[in-house]
Amino acid sequence: MATVTATAPRPAAPGLLGRPAVRKLAALAVVAAILVPLAHARWSSGSWPAALTVDVSGPLTDTSTWIIDNRDSHPLFLYFFGHISNAVVLAVRGVYLVLLAAGWAGVTAAAALVAWRVAGWRLAAGTGAAFLACGFLGMWVPTTQTLALMVVAVLASVVVGALLGLAAGLSDRADKVLRPVLDTMQVLPAFAYLLPVVLVFGIGVPAAVLATVVYAAPPMARLTALGLRGADKEVLEAVESLGATARQRLLTARIPLARKELLLGLNQTIMMALSMAVIASVIGAGGLGDRVYQALASVDVGAALAAGIPIVLLAVVLDRVTGAAGEALGEEPHPHGRRLWLVALAGAVAVAVAGRLVGRLDWPDAWVLNIAEPVNRAVDWMTAHLYSGVPVVGGTADWAGRFTTWVLDPVRDGLQGLPWWAVLLIVAALAWLIGTWRTALTAVLAMAAIGVLGVWKPSLDTLSQVLAAVAVTLVIGFATGVAAARSDRVERLLRPVLDVFQTMPQFVYLIPVVALFGVGRAPAVAAAVVYALPAVVRITTQGLRQVDPAALESARSLGATPAQQLRQVQLPLARRALLLAVNQGVVLVLAVVIIGGLVGGGALGYDVVFGLAQGDLATGLVAGAAIVCLGLMLDRVTQPTERRARKGA
Amino acid sequence: MSTTAPLTPRDETPETRKPPTGEPVFSVDGLWKVFGSKAHRVPADPELAALPAAELRARTGCTAAVRDVSFDVRKGEVFVVMGLSGSGKSTLVRCLTRLIEPTAGTIAIDGEDVRAMDRGRLRELRRHRAAMVFQHFGLLPHRTVLDNVAYGLEIQGLGKAARRERAAEVVAKVGLEGMEHRRPGQLSGGQRQRVGLARALAVDPEVLLFDEPFSALDPLIRRDMQEEVVRLHREEGRTMVFITHDLSEALKLGDRIALMRDGRVVQLGTPEEIVGSPADDYVREFVRDVPREQVMTVRTAMRPASADESGSGPALPPGATVSEAIEAVARTGSPARVVEDGRCLGVVDHERLLGVVAGTEQPKGVV
Repeated sequence: MATVTATAPRPAAPGLLGRPAVRKLAALAVVAAILVPLAHARWSSGSWPAALTVDVSGPLTDTSTWIIDNRDSHPLFLYFFGHISNAVVLAVRGVYLVLLAAGWAGVTAAAALVAWRVAGWRLAAGTGAAFLACGFLGMWVPTTQTLALMVVAVLASVVVGALLGLAAGLSDRADKVLRPVLDTMQVLPAFAYLLPVVLVFGIGVPAAVLATVVYAAPPMARLTALGLRGADKEVLEAVESLGATARQRLLTARIPLARKELLLGLNQTIMMALSMAVIASVIGAGGLGDRVYQALASVDVGAALAAGIPIVLLAVVLDRVTGAAGEALGEEPHPHGRRLWLVALAGAVAVAVAGRLVGRLDWPDAWVLNIAEPVNRAVDWMTAHLYSGVPVVGGTADWAGRFTTWVLDPVRDGLQGLPWWAVLLIVAALAWLIGTWRTALTAVLAMAAIGVLGVWKPSLDTLSQVLAAVAVTLVIGFATGVAAARSDRVERLLRPVLDVFQTMPQFVYLIPVVALFGVGRAPAVAAAVVYALPAVVRITTQGLRQVDPAALESARSLGATPAQQLRQVQLPLARRALLLAVNQGVVLVLAVVIIGGLVGGGALGYDVVFGLAQGDLATGLVAGAAIVCLGLMLDRVTQPTERRARKGA
Repeated sequence: MSTTAPLTPRDETPETRKPPTGEPVFSVDGLWKVFGSKAHRVPADPELAALPAAELRARTGCTAAVRDVSFDVRKGEVFVVMGLSGSGKSTLVRCLTRLIEPTAGTIAIDGEDVRAMDRGRLRELRRHRAAMVFQHFGLLPHRTVLDNVAYGLEIQGLGKAARRERAAEVVAKVGLEGMEHRRPGQLSGGQRQRVGLARALAVDPEVLLFDEPFSALDPLIRRDMQEEVVRLHREEGRTMVFITHDLSEALKLGDRIALMRDGRVVQLGTPEEIVGSPADDYVREFVRDVPREQVMTVRTAMRPASADESGSGPALPPGATVSEAIEAVARTGSPARVVEDGRCLGVVDHERLLGVVAGTEQPKGVV
């Protein structure tokens, strides 16, 4: 529809021109009427014209070669990046050794006791069980590796994020500079961060940790700034009226008042760090993510699941424990809090020492439960019986195939068949309708940059997958959201499911879809839908439930049917929430569609993986830049005036 | 506006309800606060300064919250600034300790120029000389009641034991014993404001500033808190500047009231003066529903006594309210005498008293 309105000139009826949307489209049509014939006459190809591309692979390859050649000699590397790299390696190694020295019993006891002090007995038991499960699955060593990397990355992220947040929270100028950067970083897919760090640090632990820090620090920074800025004005005024100095104000009022946001920031940073630490296995992070990555590469679902379950358990435990810490804030502190912490500490040390004395530091092999084989047998059975030829409904592979031929292919071909200027026009029209001309300009420039980089076709392929996945997500998400908003029972049933799904790292979603649908574009889309769905459902439900009860009551008192209430009151009043749901859906879908490159999704994600695997950084970097542009464009065309915090997975 | 220049009742009413003694604590002269860019131009330019609010905003983009306000707060009095929302009263009280920086004019505390103070001196002023109580309490939610009350002392650098001891005394004084270890979130609105009051009292300030402290409270709690303030004032005699939008609160607490409208003081005087002789139609409209017999005194309602009246009838002090006089007159059936130091100043009879209640009689005692 946007195509029609954007390209066909409208009759300039004065009544219609009064509406801003029509005015914007009319202005755009005028611009298009002048520029399109010109562009069409000069570069009349359907796809992005070759004359308008700039080949950046040459200079990029040169840069990458130069860096590789000079990594050991140039002062910049010797005295700056080299030190960072060494510090990271040392820190990760140090934490790893401590974890090893504590042994599995010591680590489990320490984790459970910390959970006890922070979140109570039940979560402590859950934490202990989760850690033991990691051992039973034969994943103790990879779990420790991931934990070691996480500890270092989270500490660095929190320090960096808190410092940036402090600057943005206290200085308006810093806020003005940092906010757009942080906002943009929030919407970019994790994959986009991998290549620049690899370019500088090479594949390995330092690159993985730094990519994780870059990905996980922004939520801490944003929430710190938000907390500092959101402090009750009257409390600050009261503090000032008592004659506090600037330092006293910060330490006794502003930071304590922002504790909730700080803890939420810590929670989000931990979740994002886990998500990234797993994905960073692609650039040498090792640990659990690496096991999943290797297993997926050989389509070994059983092994992938054995490594995937510990990731999910870690995610759930970390989320619940840090979340509980945030909730405990409002309550009275325990009278013997400090003594109980000492008890917990002593308990952990005692268990670790006992483990050492018994000589049971490593997880005993006899206790490992091999789930890979039975799982693979089940998957084989599924492949044989459910993949295709099931009467009436068809098999999962049939669905995937049909989805590819009936939806993905036509959308992709349609997009790629559109003249390039038409794509730019559509982007401009959508962005302008939802925002200002600045929004439109940013979106168009981002889209044009993709063409200039020479990755027009693969980007449109990725875009087609995103569009298809978003459409499916929104249909299912809105329907579920409406159902949950109307019925308390549905919401009660959904809530725990959504809670778990929203904490799982993106990477994990690839495992079940590979088991069900094999590899290809359709599984990537399926993973993206499953990943984005919880956020969409949740935002929709909350939006509909927060509709002004007085408005709803007055509609009911006038005798509106439930359908009328929904259509005429709830949906219009929840418009902002629904727009936000669309925006979040798009951002989350893009992140996973890109990762889908690992399971045959092709397009930009594959270019990144290929670039990393082959050491062809130029290809990967170009694809990474295109991902950034695509993310920016998609965010702008779905972003209504205001920005909000993103989900913490 | 020029017709409603503030009255200067200082020299005319030497003995009102509670005669405040002596020299001014706060002395404010020609004070302006203008929000907006190039705000300082407005007070400097007589033409701009005379513009009404809407026109000023259209011409300069500035908003004048406080316009050319002058008054003195005398030692030991309760000085009430009263006005509807948007009249500039909250801005005015914040200018006194420069929580909001004034645009023009002078403020002096005990003769010392507040606007000339450097940061250290200003901090000193806020720490020791003027403490404020806020409408929404402004308590630190993560601290206990005791630590909230002790907060001002902590800011001053007092040791933990000393400040807690002092805080405990003040907590007891405002009637919060036993709640020292609760957090603000666990208290009712009235209790929270008692904490806010205690925090201000703990630093033993020369002046207490109240910014609509009871507006957020229920009517019954509000009355309790007003009585608490009256009690505190009676016991300690501390100077208070009290901001409110509630006329009955202003009449109840104020020794003198400055009535503000659109940033200007339209009338300044005792409650009796404000109610008895409103300076303009705005003020008259404002005080129309006030039960006049409870505010007006017999001093203003009386007429000269004829020779035979001065010897008989019930005697009343000149500060007695008209409603007290009505009771006395109704009981005895004869006019009441207004007696001071054994001397009969005049009499009030049915006619005079009914005139006050009906509002038909313009008292001649004031203006």
